[in-house]
Amino acid sequence: MDTVFDFLPASIREQLKVLDHVDLEKLEEIRIRIGKPIEVNIAGYTRFFPFVVDSNTAIQLLNNLGKHSFYTLEEELKRGYITIDGGHRVGLAGKVILENGSVKAIRDISSFNIRIAREKIGIANPLIPYLYDRRWHNTVIIGPPQTGKTSLLRDLARIISTGDKKHGIPPLKTAIVDERSEIAGCVNGIPQLSFGPRVDVLDGCPKAEGMMMMIRSMSPDVLIVDEIGRKEDSEAIEEAIHAGIRLVTTVHGESIDDLFSRPALKSIMDQNIFERYVILSRQRGPGTVMAIQDRNFKHLRLGRVFQYD
Amino acid sequence: MIKLIGALCIFLACGFCGMEISKRMAERTKQLRLFIAALESLEAEIVYGHSLLHDASRRIASQLEGPVSNIFRFFSDKLVREETTAKNAWKESLDKYWKKSALKTAEYEILLQFGETLGRHDLEQQQKHIRLAITHLEREEKESYRRQTTYGKIANNFGFLSGLLVILLLI
Repeated sequence: MDTVFDFLPASIREQLKVLDHVDLEKLEEIRIRIGKPIEVNIAGYTRFFPFVVDSNTAIQLLNNLGKHSFYTLEEELKRGYITIDGGHRVGLAGKVILENGSVKAIRDISSFNIRIAREKIGIANPLIPYLYDRRWHNTVIIGPPQTGKTSLLRDLARIISTGDKKHGIPPLKTAIVDERSEIAGCVNGIPQLSFGPRVDVLDGCPKAEGMMMMIRSMSPDVLIVDEIGRKEDSEAIEEAIHAGIRLVTTVHGESIDDLFSRPALKSIMDQNIFERYVILSRQRGPGTVMAIQDRNFKHLRLGRVFQYD
Repeated sequence: MIKLIGALCIFLACGFCGMEISKRMAERTKQLRLFIAALESLEAEIVYGHSLLHDASRRIASQLEGPVSNIFRFFSDKLVREETTAKNAWKESLDKYWKKSALKTAEYEILLQFGETLGRHDLEQQQKHIRLAITHLEREEKESYRRQTTYGKIANNFGFLSGLLVILLLI
């Protein structure tokens, strides 16, 4: 939490001092816009501070985020967000500069959205018996946005790379291809969130290429990838599975049927590559596990909905 | 006897004055060259190394010596420790060590101008601004070197000769 405040200009930090530790624990977003009051989202509630942010404060904030080195932010300004220490992410909006019709950078940044990354360590523990049986099963986590797919994936990566004494699972070589810097929250290539000792991260790398790179160079036991869905992805997945690598991934959707209806995923679904399907929803808040199904779509936890978190 | 000692004192004092003036000229050229070298390193650090401004400055400070090194070291510290802009930190660093350097107002203006652009542009623009500052400094350096070669020796000799003149007048 302190790391986020280190990046804020003194005048904004002063304003946020009134938040107590209960608020801070549930803090989700700090939104800063030029000429507008500061907005803070705490556990779904919005709170405004009367302090109006002027452009100097915004410049100061950007200076702090880029450590006074705007030229190092080129890639970040193209993607529209900056990952800072602690894995928190700052989304940016402003004037977009184009080059050959595609986004080159955002200039004159007027809105900042600081999203607090919160690790949910241990949320995947109840799932271990379903996903591990002498070896990790190829698993896909299915859920609509904001259902905690990435949090669950991250915790699984942590467990796989640390091992689990209770279930007798040894730590395995875990390769994470983190296209959007969301799983590991890397700063300068170093993961900011907690993982075991045997984790390797390709940060900001396109998934399909990244998976192939990892297979070729890092000899992983388990490959962790977020949000597959393009055609190249499924080719890389086939490659990985046939190389004997276990795969844990997520996909947008509400049920297994949604996977069949996506043309890009059809071929891997037809080959019946995935052995476990974990279906998430927001029914009882983010992270509600609706079902766990095996490769024949048999329910392993029939009728028992539970929520981690 | 006392007359002789007095004459010697005058002679030496004037001589050293002249030497000092000529040394300052040489010193200015040397420091300008150091600054040019520093900016070239900065360019390499930024363009090829993608280093952060404070890291790059710290490294440059450790490679160099004298006031130029001090300026970069102070600048780096300021960026890390204080809430400021690169422009202000740069200006404060220049002001702090400028008096101790042999550099003149012309260079000061160039470097101040350069400071305005620090850390505010993308890679390409930043490189252009560094190159521009280097070009300006090189011009000053050439000018300074020319002055040093033509007037440096003169100042040196003129010191001793003027000492002699004073002595002759007094005797």
